[in-house]
Amino acid sequence: MNETVPSVEVDSPLLDSAEPEMNGWLHRYERVVGPDTLRALEAIARRLKGHRIVMVNTTKTGGGVAEILHRLVVILNELGVPTTWEVMEGDDRFFGVTKKIHNALHGHSETLTAEDREIYMERTRREAQRLALDGDLILIHDPQPAGLIALRRAPGQRWVWRCHIDLSSRDPDHWEFLRPSVCQYDASIFSAIEFVPPLPIPTYLVPPSIDPFSAKNRDMEQEEVSSIMERLDLPRRGPWVTQISRFDRIKDPIGVIEAFRMVRARRRARLLLAGGGASDDPEGAQVLAEVREGAAKVKDVTVLELPPGSDVEINALQRASAVVMQKSLREGFALTVSEALWKRRAVVASAVGGIPLQVLHERTGLLSRSIEGAALQTIRLLDNSDLRHELGAEGHAHVRDNFLHTREVRDYLAVFTSLL
Amino acid sequence: MTDTGFRFSTVAHLEFPAGPVATDFATLREGIATVPPGSLFHHIIRMVVRHPRAHDLPPNDFARWVGVALQDPETAERLAFAGTQPLLPMEELRASLLRILDDVIGRKRPDIGTPHAAAFHFVTARSVKAPLGVETELPEQVPEVWRHVDSAAAFYHLIEARVLGPVEDDLVLWLERNGGHKLAGVAESLTMGGMPLLRLHREIGSRWRRALIPARLVRRTEESESVRRQEAREVVARFAGRLRKTPQDAKG
Repeated sequence: MNETVPSVEVDSPLLDSAEPEMNGWLHRYERVVGPDTLRALEAIARRLKGHRIVMVNTTKTGGGVAEILHRLVVILNELGVPTTWEVMEGDDRFFGVTKKIHNALHGHSETLTAEDREIYMERTRREAQRLALDGDLILIHDPQPAGLIALRRAPGQRWVWRCHIDLSSRDPDHWEFLRPSVCQYDASIFSAIEFVPPLPIPTYLVPPSIDPFSAKNRDMEQEEVSSIMERLDLPRRGPWVTQISRFDRIKDPIGVIEAFRMVRARRRARLLLAGGGASDDPEGAQVLAEVREGAAKVKDVTVLELPPGSDVEINALQRASAVVMQKSLREGFALTVSEALWKRRAVVASAVGGIPLQVLHERTGLLSRSIEGAALQTIRLLDNSDLRHELGAEGHAHVRDNFLHTREVRDYLAVFTSLL
Repeated sequence: MTDTGFRFSTVAHLEFPAGPVATDFATLREGIATVPPGSLFHHIIRMVVRHPRAHDLPPNDFARWVGVALQDPETAERLAFAGTQPLLPMEELRASLLRILDDVIGRKRPDIGTPHAAAFHFVTARSVKAPLGVETELPEQVPEVWRHVDSAAAFYHLIEARVLGPVEDDLVLWLERNGGHKLAGVAESLTMGGMPLLRLHREIGSRWRRALIPARLVRRTEESESVRRQEAREVVARFAGRLRKTPQDAKG
């Protein structure tokens, strides 16, 4: 059986190669959010003096959660809150079960067999023995490691479950499997209020965030954008309509192709569907094949499979786009929307999950609720460059104030302070 | 000297569900009538914290939802206007929102609503306070330290503590009690206007500094000639230093 071993050293998030040599990430953030915001963060962090935090998830690469953790762990340490990051390992069978649970919690009908339950529990028992969960507060991310609490909670520890998934259409069988574990936690955190199921423990709301200095979001000159487009063999001439997302049914790539077919019948444009699979998502290849088949039937559609670590390419593709789409059927939060808004792109997105928190309709972007709606809003934006620029500027400001890591760190510090 | 100094604190707002969920005018009214004042404060007054740099503030959460989900721009406008006075007592604010909704429900079908997916979920928030390490003994020291106070702290001391308490964190009240009537008046009148937070923060700082000019001039006349000359030399030296800076230095 193939073991999936994280490619990054588990206990050394501070050794991230992208870390600046001098002054740290907080110093860089000062230029974006101002010194007052950092002084406020330091003040809240001082209240946690003497406490240690442990973050736990199941992957170091791929997906929004790992991206956020890479940076948050560093920032919390820079603020003087000792924080380590533990990765729960799993094999294909375990990740097959957790993917099933993930889909079912998003509302897709899946059967959770007795064997599935045993695979989940057996891996949880093994990992409970291995992981270093010795902090004052253990922050468990998502359902995969949720069962650890029953086996590893030490007296005096606080355990918090951080759910990045929209549970509003959850499958009851899967939720009933997970719920007894969740109810043992001291608190839960959700990205948006619409995602929260009834729970007997305190629930807090903390939207996720992006890093403006990461390879995916840093500033980029037009020459660099053009050179990357050339390297990817993509014509410079657009206008490009782009959706960058994991190849996953809940991101509705087939719906995007259908919406673009309507756009292309009325306007000259190109569609790019780009993305990859996360290391804990075995379904990606099948969806990608379906997307390629659908794309072959519509003119000017390009499907690009991006390998892990294509952050610079994603940055360039978003910046080269006239319109960025996120036509998801369900979403956790859809950080790709904040990434596009940060780059002052005009966004057309579905009003699902955390998207309406980022896209304030007609102010920071345009919301749609159907394939026709997505096509209509895309045509509006293709036709009106002033509207694109206005929405892009407002979107950038909205992300700076609400969806950068400094805001998420502040929220976590508030949760930790209230529990410790 | 004052009896007690003023300690500035920043706050992080810990948000959590308040309970009610609205899908039409009737359930929106019910929610507004029953949620704690902190929830109304969150949806209406705390908007300025979420959009600190806005040129024009977006409408409050109730108004935005009624406009987008219930597609009723007239009611959205009325609800937006009702929430434009940040220092209004919460029960007065609640009453004015209910008056508008009662009027709408009387004239329209109250069950005209939206799919559950677009429902309005009431949220509330608890402020987690952390001292900034900035303290003043006298009201006239406040303008000096104001630039070291972040916008969340400014919101907390000017608006939140005034409306929801505690009184010991109400900056305007402290200024008034300790003889800083002019500074208190400036802060109160600007805050009442309901402007975006960063603009309010800067405007108050600038108006406070101007308000202190006469008092400073009076103090200068009481200083000895040599002290005043020394201060004048220092001002000229600072000015010359600024002129010597290249545009590149100024940027850095």
